Amino acid sequence: MEQSVQHQSHADPVLKLTVTRARKGFRQANGAAVTAIADLTFSVKSGEYVAIVGPTGAGKSVLLDCLLGLKRLDAGNIRIDGCPAETFAREKKGHITRIFQEDRLLPWLSATDNAAFGLQIQCVPELQRREVAAKWLDAVGLSGFKNALPSELSGGMRQRVNIARAFAPEPELVLLDEAFSALDDVTASRLRQDFKKLAQSQATTFLIVTHSIDEAIFLANRILVFGAPARLMAEIPVPPHAWEDRALSDQLKDQVRTLISAGARRN
Amino acid sequence: MLSRTIISITNGRNSVAAEDGTVGESRLTAESVVGESWPDTVELESISAGAQRGLVGRIARVVLPFLVIAAVWETASFFTPPYLFPGLGSVAKSFWAILTTWDLLSQGLVTWSRLLVAVGISLLIGIPVGLAMGLYLDVDEFLRPIVKFIMGVPALNWVIIVIIWFSNTELRIGFVLVVLCTPVVIYCIYDGVRGVDRKLTDMVLSFGASPRQHVRLLMWPYVKASAFTAAKLNVGNSVRTVIVAELVGAPLGIGKELDLAKNVFDMSTVLAWTLFLVLMALIMTHGIELVERSTLRWRGERQGGQ
Repeated sequence: MEQSVQHQSHADPVLKLTVTRARKGFRQANGAAVTAIADLTFSVKSGEYVAIVGPTGAGKSVLLDCLLGLKRLDAGNIRIDGCPAETFAREKKGHITRIFQEDRLLPWLSATDNAAFGLQIQCVPELQRREVAAKWLDAVGLSGFKNALPSELSGGMRQRVNIARAFAPEPELVLLDEAFSALDDVTASRLRQDFKKLAQSQATTFLIVTHSIDEAIFLANRILVFGAPARLMAEIPVPPHAWEDRALSDQLKDQVRTLISAGARRN
Repeated sequence: MLSRTIISITNGRNSVAAEDGTVGESRLTAESVVGESWPDTVELESISAGAQRGLVGRIARVVLPFLVIAAVWETASFFTPPYLFPGLGSVAKSFWAILTTWDLLSQGLVTWSRLLVAVGISLLIGIPVGLAMGLYLDVDEFLRPIVKFIMGVPALNWVIIVIIWFSNTELRIGFVLVVLCTPVVIYCIYDGVRGVDRKLTDMVLSFGASPRQHVRLLMWPYVKASAFTAAKLNVGNSVRTVIVAELVGAPLGIGKELDLAKNVFDMSTVLAWTLFLVLMALIMTHGIELVERSTLRWRGERQGGQ
């Protein structure tokens, strides 16, 4: 994947994200209370690649919604660059972006316009945003499909547009919400590799929510294992190139798998 | 359109290519890796006769019921007085007279203008109201009972009400048409807004869209699709209603012409105006579909009234 987009550096040694004693619950239609996030505390440094793994129902997606200011915590706080998450999301549009599990492209927009969507929200002039979006489409290998509608693209291509859309606003923090889980194994593997190359050329912080331990080991340099409801069970550092070392990778997988099982069993 | 179609499937590389032929012939070539067991070249020639037979069959299926009705009608005209079942020739003559006589045609165009204006005004009122109802629960709860009530009032009752309320004929007709069409628009837009994919809404909000951007960038494209549906429904709706409104004292329009024809038992003219109205509705619907198709290309070929 060719990288041709220039970016400003956001990397600094300070904490990018801190989640402190966060709690979030819901009330179901039948009136029953459900806890999604239970006393969750962790932090992420600038430029880090942190994966969050955990059993289904661990409140991972709810946490991402809270990071984007779409949902409010019941207790505790989330700070990004020292600002409350809601304030950060409101005042710095496009500085946090999300790569969704499903592409969520707008079906009436071309690949370029979809990739430029975050910039359009930031009110970047049309010519400029289309230029930036086109560069990102080149970077994700979709040079020949800039005018294609989502319905004319394959699932993998649509996910590439989804990635271009997340990178185009030059975000400080990118949230991956099971970004590759809707794709077949071959496409997902290829896209993961392309994504990693692209991400490494950026000075951006990545928070990667995934069900795939392999993906976490491949993409992240630290894995946070969540229990259900969301609480931190363990932090596991991932040594560089661990995914290339079969024995180390298997050891990490066993460790994470055991923790996830323990987290799921408690509920 | 095509006199000859050739489909050629060739064993070979993993690519698919298609090329258009010259006028009168279309050639499609497909190369596929799955073709190991395929012969080197398979040429299937679908000569236009087959396609033409299909087209003729489709036309026949559409036309046949009307031909049967016409035959029954024409037969009945031999045994009944012309004010009951006039001959088809007489109806065709009246229809031709409408198309070629400006005094008559202008009456049709007056009615047509009223329809267009009413459908347009109902869209102008209904789109913002439906949008507000779809987006805000308070507005929905306040307006929905009112819209439901208005939808429950029969067209004829509105005609009587406007005769008492207004002295101006155009205002009477316009009011009746708009009051009958607007709730349809409101409900279509309301449903369109509520039908927007929640995941897309989350995506738009994730990027920090303001409420205005949310409406403009996400809701509006869906609302447009619903507005076309509403416009098409209202063409039929207003064609059925406009004559009722015009019959009550309109000095111009098809309603007046029908009233005159009724007074002299001129059934062939009544039928000719009826055909004119149906034709008018079909043309308007087709026009809306054309705009819809070009505006909503992203929905695919089967959409947009296909």
